[in-house]
Amino acid sequence: MTNYRIAWITIAALFAASCSAAETPAPAPVPKSAAAKPAAPPAAASAQAATALPHYVQVASGSNLTFTFVQEGAANQGSFRQFATELRYDEKAPSSGSLNVKVQMASAETQDKDRNELITGSDFFDAAKFPVAQYVASSFAKRADGGLEAVGKLTIRNITHDLRLPLTLKPTAKGFELSGKTAIKRLDYGVGQGEWKATDSVSDEVKIEFTVSLARSGS
Amino acid sequence: MPFRNTTRSWGSLSKAFHWLIVLLIINQWWIAERAEELKGLAKLEALGLHKSFGMTILVLAVLRLLWRLMNPTPELTTETKPWERVLAKISHVLLYALIFAMPLTGWMMSSAKNYPVSWFKLFQFPDLVAPAEHTFDQMQDLHHLLFKVLVGVALLHVAGALKHHFIDRNDVLKRMLPFGGIK
Repeated sequence: MTNYRIAWITIAALFAASCSAAETPAPAPVPKSAAAKPAAPPAAASAQAATALPHYVQVASGSNLTFTFVQEGAANQGSFRQFATELRYDEKAPSSGSLNVKVQMASAETQDKDRNELITGSDFFDAAKFPVAQYVASSFAKRADGGLEAVGKLTIRNITHDLRLPLTLKPTAKGFELSGKTAIKRLDYGVGQGEWKATDSVSDEVKIEFTVSLARSGS
Repeated sequence: MPFRNTTRSWGSLSKAFHWLIVLLIINQWWIAERAEELKGLAKLEALGLHKSFGMTILVLAVLRLLWRLMNPTPELTTETKPWERVLAKISHVLLYALIFAMPLTGWMMSSAKNYPVSWFKLFQFPDLVAPAEHTFDQMQDLHHLLFKVLVGVALLHVAGALKHHFIDRNDVLKRMLPFGGIK
């Protein structure tokens, strides 16, 4: 009889367990737009030539900036909760446009506390020492496909490389929705020290995607 | 040895499923134990393997269940007592349920922690649940609990097989042995 009892207890446990598994509600994803906040008030225009152009700054909601890397063969995604974007742009003179994006590295969010700590720590972003990553473009170019491309420089961990950033500007009621994607090599910027310089488990290539809601600013 | 089962013996494919899954489960336990002690990159790699082998078990479990339903199941001997039949049935159903439940809860752990699952870096599986810490905690507890249940039921299963062999002296154990079988 004890055998019966053990068997039935295990069945009951398994059943209860599978029910609780089935009932676990998939939590509603936090809208990325709500999570992304401008990190800091926009800085003064970086390029003198651009000061005359219409000025747009990132609004509080409707923006996201994600990074995707391959880990153990699977694409893993994270985002930055705090970054600030400003754009100077006139459709009549697109090449004289400018773009400035400041990213608060400590705001990296990967949905796992341990990993957040790891990547904001000294082996990756080292956010204590290098709190801000920045993209600065002081001119725009036309791409072969007719689209717009920012010609600029990306700085992470105080290491700067040229980066051409394809952009899409969609007019909105307030200003523009700026979006684009690119890929960078994390090791070019020293993101991955010590054992993390290896790329078998964590890819060197990191895809970056962004959608930024911009509003016309008076300045 | 025939490929398919008969009402008296297991075919080669059924035996292959049985023993392959046994070896994979032992391997899973060993990797998981080792991963607990690892840190950083080595832990990521160990868990990557654990997840890949787990998905292998899940796929084998699906194929194994289909094959079982498409084949006759070897019968227990006529001397087997009713309580033994009930216990055998319960433990077999549980073992089948567990080879699904273990990989599925592991897969949900990965999704909940936003570490998607790949199969030996060759391709990626979709996520089962949205990332959330409490979901991860629940799935982790469940995964560990189910492993304990698995160990318990597997021991009962082995004890049953040994009883058939050494006490009842029938062919129930022998007919599942890899290269053995009954004439």
